[in-house]
Amino acid sequence: MHAARAEIVANVWKVLAREGDQVGAGDTLAVLETMKMEIPVIAGVSGRVNRVLAAEGVIVQEGDVLIEIDENA
Amino acid sequence: MAQLETPPVAAAPVGNDHREALEQRRRDRFARVEPRGRRVFTARERAEMFVDAGSFVEMTPLRKAGATGSGVVTGWGTLEGRPVVVASHDAAVASGAIGAVMAESIMRAQRLAIDKGYPIVYINDSGGAQINDGIFALHGCGGIFALNVEAQGRIPQLSLILGPCAGAAAYSPALTDWTIMVKDQGQMFLTGPDIVKAATGEVVSAEDIGGSALHTATSGVAHLEVDSEEEAFAAARLLLGFVPAHVGAPAVLQPSRPADAVAVEELPGLVPDKSSVVFDMQRLLDGVLDAGPRLELMPTHGTSILTLFGRLEGRPVGVVANQPASRGGILDSKSSVKAARFVDFCGRFGIPVLTFVDVPGFLPGTVEEGRGVITHGAKLLKAYIETKAPKLTVIVRKAYGGAYIAMGARSLGADFTWAWSGSEIAVMGPGGAVTLLHKRALRDAEDPIALRDDLAAEYRENVARPYLAAEAGIVDDVILPEETRGRMADALRMLTHDHHADARG
Repeated sequence: MHAARAEIVANVWKVLAREGDQVGAGDTLAVLETMKMEIPVIAGVSGRVNRVLAAEGVIVQEGDVLIEIDENA
Repeated sequence: MAQLETPPVAAAPVGNDHREALEQRRRDRFARVEPRGRRVFTARERAEMFVDAGSFVEMTPLRKAGATGSGVVTGWGTLEGRPVVVASHDAAVASGAIGAVMAESIMRAQRLAIDKGYPIVYINDSGGAQINDGIFALHGCGGIFALNVEAQGRIPQLSLILGPCAGAAAYSPALTDWTIMVKDQGQMFLTGPDIVKAATGEVVSAEDIGGSALHTATSGVAHLEVDSEEEAFAAARLLLGFVPAHVGAPAVLQPSRPADAVAVEELPGLVPDKSSVVFDMQRLLDGVLDAGPRLELMPTHGTSILTLFGRLEGRPVGVVANQPASRGGILDSKSSVKAARFVDFCGRFGIPVLTFVDVPGFLPGTVEEGRGVITHGAKLLKAYIETKAPKLTVIVRKAYGGAYIAMGARSLGADFTWAWSGSEIAVMGPGGAVTLLHKRALRDAEDPIALRDDLAAEYRENVARPYLAAEAGIVDDVILPEETRGRMADALRMLTHDHHADARG
């Protein structure tokens, strides 16, 4: 299982991935907003979105898991 | 001409025991450095591989510590013809543990490098101070540290970590300029897993407490992770190619190469107008610097800032650049310390510092304050202020608040600063600024968000645009992206002008 994490403390602005989606490595899964910057959350691997833990409008801390990808699915 | 007493040279000198004795000593010596254990290359082979083929000359090869060798192979060689001093730990002797004789041998190499003004490269593979030598080992280790620090003001020092390095063998690298670790092979820790377990009960692997991933990404103790010994040697050679032999020595110039043609074409449209949208700063650098090898240091630590060596018109330059593609390009504790260390190094060796600015600010909050971001940010200010090397700064998009200052501003002593025509320089971003400036109007407005956006747009055009800074002379000029390389190259030619060459010309 691959975990896409928040690389910085931020507000979750947009969640693009839905559970069950097939995603490719490099796809944008969500967009965080911090310091007036739009920080894309990028899929590190290809696979199926297993769980979406991020909710729009919620503050996340550096290192928090936002989206889990099952690379074997 | 020769007199008859001279014996014939070709014939074996009968009874010439001292020749045989020396041959035997040399054979013994080679036998001592030959065992490689689990290692692929011996200490001597490592030293020979690192320098130009056939150039390695060993110092005191017959030096012994009791029945064994000194535990280190020291000597000198050349890198593309430029002299370099090498000290290569011999892990075949007591796991490379540093005894009194080994310390003396290393200090002799350090003394030579410092006095003659040549870079020194430490090839580390040592368990730390040798227990049998007791206080003499500790005294020797301290002596190495003292010379590490003396060398900081004089010559470049690189540490290559090719095996498990504990205690003194980890502290000495921390006193050198740059440390390169071989993945899954080199480790650095105060003490190894056995002692950790005995001391605190913590059960850890050598990789967990001292592996290259930990030290290059998290701790920042090491600055580059490579996959093999050969790659470590290649990286060290590349790095030293950007650095003069000693403080005050001339730069190592190469023929100028134009920037990558495709990147040059992309440069005017590379930076998104919308200041919140990220882009890859590496691509911007491609369009400004000479094409050809660059060396990025600490690529996985403090990733919102880039620190790398490259060339501009063939002259080595140190580049500090915000990386919007990572964490928005913010400054924080780690990225500040990383950049400060790099700027300090460039300053000591007269390597021009080129700063590319697109920074939303210092990251605020409890985590960063707890990490001491004020102290760490101040290190970056100090490094820029103290640096005597030429300093050129270009603001490519936004520069807000304290982070504007910390990124090599004119007030910190930049020789020349420019701002791209689309850039913004302000105490804070337009959104935040108008919220403070127009608190009452916004509170009373029917549609505060629309009013805020209008005010922000007005602020962006009237206050934040770089013309105010240019009219005040705080930036030298407002320029187009495609003018950047030319402006920087012109400035460098002037700032590094060789007066002797001028006298000849």
